[in-house]
Amino acid sequence: MTERVGDEPLLSVRDLEKHYPITQGYLSREVGAARAVDGISFDLRPGETLGLVGESGCGKSTAATSIINLETPTGGEVLFNGGGRWNRQRNEDGSHPNDVTAFADDELFAFRRDAQMIFQDPSSSFDPRMSIGSSVAEPLQVHGMTDQGRRRAIVEDLLEQVGLAAKDYDRYPHEFSGGQKQRIALARALVLNPELIVADEPVSALDVSIRAEILSLISDLQDEYGLSMLFISHDMSVIREVCDRVAVMYLGEIVEIGDAEEVFTDPQHPYTEALLSAIPTADPRAEQANIELRGTVPTPTNPPSGCRFHTRCHRVIQPDGIDIDQENWRSLLNFRDEVLAGQVDVESAREIASTAAGEGDDADIKSELRTEFDLPESFADASVDETLADALDSLLDGDDETAAEQLSTAFTTPCEQSEPVMTDHGDGHQSQCLLNESAQSAPQPTPSDD
Amino acid sequence: MATDKSSRFDNVDWEAVTADSGRALSTNLLGTLLCVVPLIALLVYDFVALGQYEDTFAFVGIGYDVTQLDWLFALSLILFVFYALLPLYQNPRITRYYWREFKRNRPAVVSLAFLTFVFVVGLLGPIFISQPEIDLVTQYQPPIGMSVQNTYPVQCLGEVTSGASGQLCHGSLAHPLGTDSRGRDILVMLIYGMQVTVKIAFITSLIVITIGTAVGTVAAYSGGMIDEVLMRYVDVQQSFPTFIAYLLILYAYGGGLFLFIVLFGTFAWEGTARYVRSNALTKSEDEFMKSAELTGASTYHIITRHLIPNTASSIITILTLLVPGFILAEAQLAFLGLGDPTAPSWGQLLSTGRDALPYAPWITLMPGFLIFLTILAFNFLGDAVLDALNPEAQAESE
Ligand code: SF4
Repeated sequence: MTERVGDEPLLSVRDLEKHYPITQGYLSREVGAARAVDGISFDLRPGETLGLVGESGCGKSTAATSIINLETPTGGEVLFNGGGRWNRQRNEDGSHPNDVTAFADDELFAFRRDAQMIFQDPSSSFDPRMSIGSSVAEPLQVHGMTDQGRRRAIVEDLLEQVGLAAKDYDRYPHEFSGGQKQRIALARALVLNPELIVADEPVSALDVSIRAEILSLISDLQDEYGLSMLFISHDMSVIREVCDRVAVMYLGEIVEIGDAEEVFTDPQHPYTEALLSAIPTADPRAEQANIELRGTVPTPTNPPSGCRFHTRCHRVIQPDGIDIDQENWRSLLNFRDEVLAGQVDVESAREIASTAAGEGDDADIKSELRTEFDLPESFADASVDETLADALDSLLDGDDETAAEQLSTAFTTPCEQSEPVMTDHGDGHQSQCLLNESAQSAPQPTPSDD
Repeated sequence: MATDKSSRFDNVDWEAVTADSGRALSTNLLGTLLCVVPLIALLVYDFVALGQYEDTFAFVGIGYDVTQLDWLFALSLILFVFYALLPLYQNPRITRYYWREFKRNRPAVVSLAFLTFVFVVGLLGPIFISQPEIDLVTQYQPPIGMSVQNTYPVQCLGEVTSGASGQLCHGSLAHPLGTDSRGRDILVMLIYGMQVTVKIAFITSLIVITIGTAVGTVAAYSGGMIDEVLMRYVDVQQSFPTFIAYLLILYAYGGGLFLFIVLFGTFAWEGTARYVRSNALTKSEDEFMKSAELTGASTYHIITRHLIPNTASSIITILTLLVPGFILAEAQLAFLGLGDPTAPSWGQLLSTGRDALPYAPWITLMPGFLIFLTILAFNFLGDAVLDALNPEAQAESE
């Protein structure tokens, strides 16, 4: 047993990676990988709640299960310093004795007492054939408490603490509501007296009316037992209620991390901005600039080059020599991407154009395409207008390849060429966007000059 | 409410708890062991100490030689008591819930009552009722309410009346369901037949459940090559001609009910294995399985505590389809004269009545009727069990 020194974090995640191989054929040849979690790092201090937020499919749940070692990560380290493992030094060979991913079986078994998890779906989180008392007591039994009376006493006491009655011990999962089940899930997560709880969307399956209850129960218990918590959610408003710090995930990477206060009041990454703009505000008069993310949603199998957010970013940078309205620039890039992907359907545009009032000639088809992709008749830039007109001509001639080439040589963005690195905004607030990089390390000629 | 310090979760000294934890045996396992150990001892005694023709229980003065089938039957009964009945008793709340759901299905309740009757009478009847005796004098006695031309029975025990086509012999209380061509009481034979049926049902179920679950879970949890090999074997076995194998073995080496049960049982678990495997794969995505894994529980613990109990209702349903098939197959083989002549099964009775069908139809009717009812009851039961034992689906649909 060692004591904590300084402000050693309880949990320290370094370059965590979880790639799922994609195999093909009888010999299971590996043809690629879904990079669900692609190198994330963060620290969690004792008693702190860190929110991991992002839309579904961004890898936040995989991050959770990898951290808690329900799945084995494919790379990186998860250093867990709790459970009497404080202040241990690295081994000679550079490995760390507290690295959960490298724990031997008995260490992992002990780690199960120090870190537990709550899942999203209360309807499937309990064995339907076991009384909830037995379910909550199961961890005690697994960890060697053979005294049945003691197990029962502990669980009954705990059930009362989470707002149920001791006599609920003998009832079965189907007799409880979703909110009650989530209370029981909390009891089960707590029963081994862990230091860390990973909560994966614990309230998103619940009715809005009971969310607040569960959230306040969580923070009460957290205060009482000094728990640290990794709180995963897609919902910024829930995160705001419970978290001390926030990490925003996009496509397997953390794009912004910092104190909740800071991130919510002064978001640095365009993606965070967009997420925040979607929170309904209590004040109806407040001007709500709901930022709509347009563009193709990429898959983790084939993440975009450069900044992974560039296919949807509303602030995507314009290259030297182009200076048009930002909205139009986004539309232009979306159009380019669709053409590149061969997704532009000239035929259906032709059909629509011929059934509509117009003659159905080329001009009509073009304007139909422009409406479809939010492209104005004219940008405030003659060369842009020209390139687009050429590309549309090629498209109508059925020459998709030339169109794609014309568009992709003329319209490029630094965002797809260089990968942004983490920029520090002070106080542990960091973000990963080229805009912030250039703002900080000023002098070099900025890509977007205004 | 518990106020004792040791009963607070945050006051548990895990170092101490893990240090002195032994493996606690569950009541079920303990009970099973307590019964199986003497059983094995007896088996060893029977094989080692006693000659082939000595009665097993001769030492307590009971003249009964335990057969191979009886050993298996005893084992299946022990497991049935400790892993089916005892859990229902231990968890009264969920048992009551199952019963409430099950009760809604009237035919299934009647079926269950009927099958329980067959089970109890088949199990206990032969202990209290002595074997039907061959007595040619009392042959072809009709059941109560039926009559036969008095030329067939040597001596009519019931009332004899004269009708248009000669004298008629009526049934009597001495043989309420009549007698067969050798004067054996049909009611007694039916009761002995029940025991054979119960044995068929229990032993084949034991074999199917054991092998099916073992193969299914091993395939699901090991994956890769092992999974592939096991499941391909299951495919092969599915097309295995059990009936022809039975005939071959029967002609080459001879055989009886034991051969029938073991052979048909060991070649019928494919469906169960497949089902258990797919269920294991889908259930492992369920959060409660992940939670169990997160407690640090062993795979064995997860399989026995969570996977198998959650697969049980479907396995029971598979059995309610398989078992009637076995009963019917036994009856058919026996009727064709390919059964075990020493086993007093319903099928045997059916076949003894074959020649007397024109004038003594009751000999075939009685067992035929029972076979029909039994199979029907199993079918009704299957549906109801699947519905009743599925609290998840119920809760969702409400
Ligand atoms: S680097 Fe470019 S695309 Fe990425 S977030 Fe910043 S502005 Fe948007």
